[in-house]
This record gives sequence, structure tokens and C-alpha cells, in this order.
Amino acid sequence: MEHCISVRTRGLQLSLLLAMALSMTAAWANDAVVLVTSSDSPITDISSLDTRKAYLGIFVTIAGNTVRPVRQRDDSRLNQVFLQSVIAMSQRSYERRLLSMMLKYGTPRPAEVRDREALIEMLERNPHAIGYMWESDAESDRRVRKVKVLWQEH
Amino acid sequence: MKSRRKMAHRCRWRAAVLAKILLLATLALSQISRAESPHDVLVFLSVEGVDMFSASDPTLEGSDVHPIADFLYTYNSDRFRFLAEYIWSDSEAEMERLQAAWVIDDETTLWFGRFHTISNYWTTEYHHGQYMQTSISRPGLEEWEDESGPMPSHVTGAWFEHEFALENQSAFDLGLSAGLAPKFEGEQLMPFDVLDPASGHDMAVSGRLVYRPDILSLNQIGLTVSHNDIAVVSESSPALTELNAIRQVTLGLFTNWQWEKWRLSSNWVYFDIDMQYVSGTVNDEFFLGYIQAEYEVSEDWTVFGRTEFGDSEDDSIYLSLLPAVVAHRQMLGVRWDFAVRHGLTLEIADTSRQADSVGHDSFKEARLQWSTVFR
Repeated sequence: MEHCISVRTRGLQLSLLLAMALSMTAAWANDAVVLVTSSDSPITDISSLDTRKAYLGIFVTIAGNTVRPVRQRDDSRLNQVFLQSVIAMSQRSYERRLLSMMLKYGTPRPAEVRDREALIEMLERNPHAIGYMWESDAESDRRVRKVKVLWQEH
Repeated sequence: MKSRRKMAHRCRWRAAVLAKILLLATLALSQISRAESPHDVLVFLSVEGVDMFSASDPTLEGSDVHPIADFLYTYNSDRFRFLAEYIWSDSEAEMERLQAAWVIDDETTLWFGRFHTISNYWTTEYHHGQYMQTSISRPGLEEWEDESGPMPSHVTGAWFEHEFALENQSAFDLGLSAGLAPKFEGEQLMPFDVLDPASGHDMAVSGRLVYRPDILSLNQIGLTVSHNDIAVVSESSPALTELNAIRQVTLGLFTNWQWEKWRLSSNWVYFDIDMQYVSGTVNDEFFLGYIQAEYEVSEDWTVFGRTEFGDSEDDSIYLSLLPAVVAHRQMLGVRWDFAVRHGLTLEIADTSRQADSVGHDSFKEARLQWSTVFR
């Protein structure tokens, strides 16, 4: 009898885990990565080419000011999506490319921050900074403005 | 003699202490510089072991270990850029690059200071960042001037660069530079010393035109041209006694191309040199080139090989003044990238140096190198 209860409990736990996994997958399925600025930034539009340029360490100027790209360190899935879909490079190739640009021309690498909160703080401090985050996060925070969708889960 | 040795030892010791201080300072700075700071630093470290074998000439045999630390500091504001590169090794301690730029717009930059010659493809691609180049050795054609390289590597002056972006996302890059060339002293070219402005250097003018089919890709093909008036320190070597000056003109074609897992880099340079002797001018023409192929076996492993060749270089009067220049080399190697930004590379090569006018020094080389970069 005890064995039977234990099997049922394990079955229930497995079902719960499966349900959670499915709901997370469903949430990701609707998610997207967006390019953001602070809500009062003069940057209202930026082309995909200029976005890639900025994140590859190439100078991009909008309205007379240099665009400052910012990366988030801790969200590995967000970074993976960003590198694959926007930069179209592996982590190692991307790092080598940034090192090469700095070695050759002294160009600055994108600033790196720990998490979303630190990104928003930096965007607020620098109106010419751009960052990327999950669309759901961007929509729930009035301090940032969504500039464009960089990637959409199909 | 003893006091000179003592002084050299003291200089090396001071350079080593300075390098250690720079290393600690830059490592500390790198920890705080990744947010919004306009300052940034990179530290390239490498240790290379080399062993040379020769069946025909045992005097060429020997082994050595070379530790190298390269410190790069950059400062960026909207329209101003500053870059300094300092290298320390067991054989030298030198400010390699010290340059400042006015960024005129996104496509145009004007540099001033001491920079690497824009007509040298390899030099401007990797500088002293040993970790960044797949192979351990540099091609003889692209060797540093103070290591018997045939072309100037450092110029002190101004350098203008402009990118012409085309509508199809391809681009042309134009570079023009003018400045003080190295002078020929002993058995090598000696770059201009900013601390000794009266050291007697002539002018070097270089140009470079590069085509990139994709503005964001590293694939490129380019033309280089340079005109170098090289002053000669006649009393520095018996071979230079009758030589007043050297006028060197070079014309080069280089490429760097990547197809999926394959990468090919190559540079071919034609030299037209006037050796201005007391008795008259002697013309010297030759050609040097190399092709390096790399194949990425997996994300961590790369195999590579390079062949270096030339034409009329064996009879060159100019190259006979640079006995350590490598004109022929067949090399194979493998590189393993491990952990975070560490590389371990093994290279074997069949090499011949120019030596004297009678014949080449031929030998086999085995090199092993660990390299990394701290950021």
C-alpha cells in the first residue's frame, strides 16, 4: 500500500514538473528579444545593420552622439539568442572579434552589466545607450522604451 | 665591459619590474573598466619554447624560452581616441604604439603618433597580440623590423583612414600614412625613437586600399604600396661602410578569406630597392610572399600550415644585409583553445634564413606556445 502511494506521489511530481516545463516552453514560445533604450532617449530608431555594427565595436552615431551598446552577462539564454540571431556568431568568435577591433583600432567593447536591473540603470544614466532584453520584461518596465524587435520565437 | 653588463642587467630588471607593475595595474583596472568607463585594457601573455635542429650545421642548433607580456590601453570619448601598447619580453621592453586619433565621423579617423605601418598586413591585423594569431611564428616577410624584417614596422607621423560604405553592404577602406621611417643600423632596421628625435631618420609614405564584400565580415582583399627612404648608419657594420642610403618601394597584394571552417591568409610583396652607394646606385628587385591555410576541426582545435617563398630573393643585395631574415619556410601546426581565452599551439617547420651571400642557413624548428589574454 505504502509502495503504491509512493509511486502515485512520484507520478504526481513528474506530472507537475512536466506541466511546469510545458508552461515555461509556452511562455518562451511567445517571447521575443527587443532592443531598448531609456524612456527619454533621443534614439527612436536604429537599423539592424547599425545595431550589429555597434555591438561589433564599430562607431555608430545617431543625432551627433555615439551609440553606446550594453550587454547583459547573467542571462545565458538571452545572450545565446542575441549572439545567434542578431550577431550571427558563436560566443568565442564574437569575443575574438571584439578583442581584434580593440587591438587594431582601440575601439571600445560594449559595456557589460550583470543583469536587467543594472542594464536599466545604465540606460537611464546614458540616453545614448542601447540594450536588449526579453520583450515581456521591457513591456512591464516604464523606465525603458522598446525600439525594435530583434528576435521573435516562432 | 663589466659595468656595461651590469647596466644591461639593471635595465632588464627595471623593465621586468615595470612590466609586473603594469600587469597588476591593468588587471586591477580591467575589473572596473567594463561598465561605462572610457578606459579599457587588455593584457596578452605568452610563453614560447623553440628548439632548432640542423643536420648540416650544428652551430645553428639550440633551444630557448621566450616569455612575452603585451599591455594595451585605450581611451575613448566621442571624437577622441588614445591607444598605447607596451611590450615586455626577455629581449626587449618598448612602447610599441603610442597614438591618438581625432574621429572625424563614423567613417573617417585621423591618427597621430607612433603606429604600426599600414602597408604590413600581418602587423596591422595582429600587432603584438600573440593570442590573436593562430600560428606562433610570423611569416619572414612580416617579421618585426628589429628582428630582421625586410620592411619598416613602425612609423612616427600621421595616418588617415576612411571607409567608403557601398549600398550593397560592401565597403572600401582607404588608408594613407606619412612619417619617420626606421634607419638601417648593424643588421636590422631601427625604428624612430621618440626619446631621441635627432637620431637621423628619413620619411616613409604608405597607402592601403581594401575591399570587404561584407562590411561586417573579416573577409578582405587589399593592395598596399609604400615608399621608404631609409637612412643608413654606415659606421655600424663593415657591410654598410660604402652605403649612404636605401630607397625602398613596395607593392603588395593581401587577402584574408574564410569559407565555413577554412581560412586563407596571404600576402605577396614586390620590392624595388635602390642601394645608394658612394660609388653609385645599385638597383635590387625581388619578391616575397606566403600563404597560410587554417582548418577548424572543431570549436577548440585548429590545424594550420604556411608556405613562404620568393623570387630573386637569393641574389638580393638588400636581403644579404639582413642575415636573419627568413625567406623560405614550410610550416605545419595545431592549436588547442581551452578554458576561457587560453591557447596551446605546436608548430614544426623547415626553415632557411638568408644568412650571407654564400648560402642559406637551413634548419628545422619546433615551437610550443601557451598564450592568453586578460580583459
